[in-house]
Amino acid sequence: MFFLAWRQILLEPLRMALTAIALGTVIAVILLLDGFEQGQYHQLGEIVQNRKADLVVTQSGISNFIAVRSSIPQLARAEVESVAGVINAHPVTAIPIIYNKNNTRTPVYVIVYDTWGGPLSIIQGDNIKRGRDIVIDLSLAKKYNLQIGDNFYVTDFEFRIAGITQEAAFMMPFAFINYDGMIDLFIESQIAPDLSTFPLLSYMLVELAPYANRENVARDIEQHVASVDVMIPEKLAQNDVNMGKVFFKPIMGLLVTIGYIIGILVVGLIMYADIRARKRSFAVLKALGFSFSRLFCAVLAQALLLLLIAVPVGIMLALGVAVFIQTMYPLYLIRLFEPVVFLQTLFICFGFSIIGAIIPVRSIQRTDPMLAFQDA
Amino acid sequence: MLKWTWKSVFSQRGTLIGSVLGIACTFILVIFFDAVWRGESEQVVSYPAHMKPDVWVMQSGVGNMHMAMSFVWDWKADKIAKLPGVKQVTPILYLNSIVTSEQNQIFAFIVGLLPDNKRAGPWKLSAGRHIENPLETVIPDVLAKISNLNIADKIHIADKLFTIVGMSSGTYSSANPVLFVPFSDLEDLLASTGTYSYLLVDADEGTRPEVLVQRIRDEVDKVNVLTHEEFINNDYSMAIQMGVEIIVIMTIICSVLAALIVGFTSYSLVIRRRRELAIIKALGVRSINILTSVILQAIIVTSIGFGIAVFFALFILPYTTLLQPQLTLSLSLSSLTHIGMIAFIVAVLGALLPAWHVSRMEAASAYHV
Repeated sequence: MFFLAWRQILLEPLRMALTAIALGTVIAVILLLDGFEQGQYHQLGEIVQNRKADLVVTQSGISNFIAVRSSIPQLARAEVESVAGVINAHPVTAIPIIYNKNNTRTPVYVIVYDTWGGPLSIIQGDNIKRGRDIVIDLSLAKKYNLQIGDNFYVTDFEFRIAGITQEAAFMMPFAFINYDGMIDLFIESQIAPDLSTFPLLSYMLVELAPYANRENVARDIEQHVASVDVMIPEKLAQNDVNMGKVFFKPIMGLLVTIGYIIGILVVGLIMYADIRARKRSFAVLKALGFSFSRLFCAVLAQALLLLLIAVPVGIMLALGVAVFIQTMYPLYLIRLFEPVVFLQTLFICFGFSIIGAIIPVRSIQRTDPMLAFQDA
Repeated sequence: MLKWTWKSVFSQRGTLIGSVLGIACTFILVIFFDAVWRGESEQVVSYPAHMKPDVWVMQSGVGNMHMAMSFVWDWKADKIAKLPGVKQVTPILYLNSIVTSEQNQIFAFIVGLLPDNKRAGPWKLSAGRHIENPLETVIPDVLAKISNLNIADKIHIADKLFTIVGMSSGTYSSANPVLFVPFSDLEDLLASTGTYSYLLVDADEGTRPEVLVQRIRDEVDKVNVLTHEEFINNDYSMAIQMGVEIIVIMTIICSVLAALIVGFTSYSLVIRRRRELAIIKALGVRSINILTSVILQAIIVTSIGFGIAVFFALFILPYTTLLQPQLTLSLSLSSLTHIGMIAFIVAVLGALLPAWHVSRMEAASAYHV
């Protein structure tokens, strides 16, 4: 059956190429939608993990890093550092801002850091050396055509772009400044009655002694300092991912479902057109005594072979588009090869090939063997 | 030739149905993506749009509400209230944060209201009542539905536990469900004594907002003052800008897919009718007429597919919110027209390959057995 199906596919190379590209594009669309969703979750998880802390201290009742306001009393830092096993509690402050240039606005999440918590890597330029230095995400630099050394205005306060990194999450680029920059921004902007209005300390990145047990130290800090919660970074990252899933899942789920319906229709269309075109061949096979189930198996085999050809085409297409998107719009990360989701997608594609092959079944059933003996 | 084209398209109904459905689905995917983004962007401005003061006052350097943080000294509100042409000033506190219920964690916009401040509160309650006491909250009815929350249930905002006393309509979007809490509770959470986030300024009758904007700018330092229209436009354009690249990419990918389906369909039709086409060529019909016919076939197939997609978008898509109440969809005539124009290009592109095939066809092949 597979041989017959294979020969059938090779009969018209142009048609086969068109078919493989069409089916491959469907697979690519589904992979890209899944990859976009997975990319969002990955970015959300990575933001906390990239801060490289053993433990993260948040305001009491706050269990996320992204899209939340955490404000810890400054005295809490000394209290946390007094707990056995804690070497240092590195301060980090998160400030959401709206960057506006030429009337184009972008929400930016600014991370203020001192010793830990800065950009994971600098892909261009240098790290922060002076109070007015800022490191921005690549997507922000691309969107506004910003270069190293350019000015970057936050509420009329002038920063200088020292470096470019690549950190974004929740469709927001990140930027990094140090505490000198933050204090200057608050004081010079004179935007509030006193500095305490702003969250001067949002999180603490706890550095533990090599011998310290993370869970025990976390428990000790929570017992010792009432105003804070302590979380392991993995848990905090998972909370951000879960929050992202509440936001993205309903939308992406529907889009992927439409993608699968397109897949079924495309396979069905291809198989139906093929069977209609080969009605006479099927009539001959029927006249020769081939049972309906065998003919159906041949159609199924052909659909699966087409899928086998289309899968690499789809992966290559998706990979190409993903690279293009990430190069042109680095804010988005497309994670095509998340093992579970990738295999699940391929498995469902296998499923829609089978369903697509079932669509023209009636046409085979209704093929009259007498057709084989009629003139063309 | 026109008649032959028409007959040819409808001669293979199965192929035609499969093609138009495939094409329709690809356009539905684009329309759906666009509608979701547009709907979310409209919902992002739902709260300020319903408040509709004449003028918005906020921190200097801030020009919108979505994802923004703004602090304005409280005495500035008093000063503005005394300016000529000002009818009333309604201050609100505002915070982006995570709301935690038993079932999930949701990113939300939290608005702190002064006692008896109905001006800036929920505009329509679908259940319960307005907030009257500390630690009470009004949440969007859709949020209540998807999180399985009822009146008297509790939710966490940071370390404070709020009791749900009311549910509001029209205040939910995936990007920003709007919750209302007492001003003093949010003030505690923000540790922001002596400040407001935004001031909603209503003008006296006969005072033009633009004039009032200038007057406030002249009299009050370090604030940004915008008319309602400017403020809404800033938020809406930012929300749309955030998704515009993804919509463009999705449109391109889906259009390529639609072009391939059109190409496949036209190719199938041409292959099936190749002897007829060869005979037509042998009879002396010019190639340009045959090519026009092939392109016309592609346009017919694409138009039917696009028509189904538009029908689906107008009459079926709005009901998806019954299945997924958290989605807000908004169809725009301009984007449908835009996609329609793309559909036309898709049809022509899809017809190129079969047209090339036809142009290479030998008239003599009509006589082959």
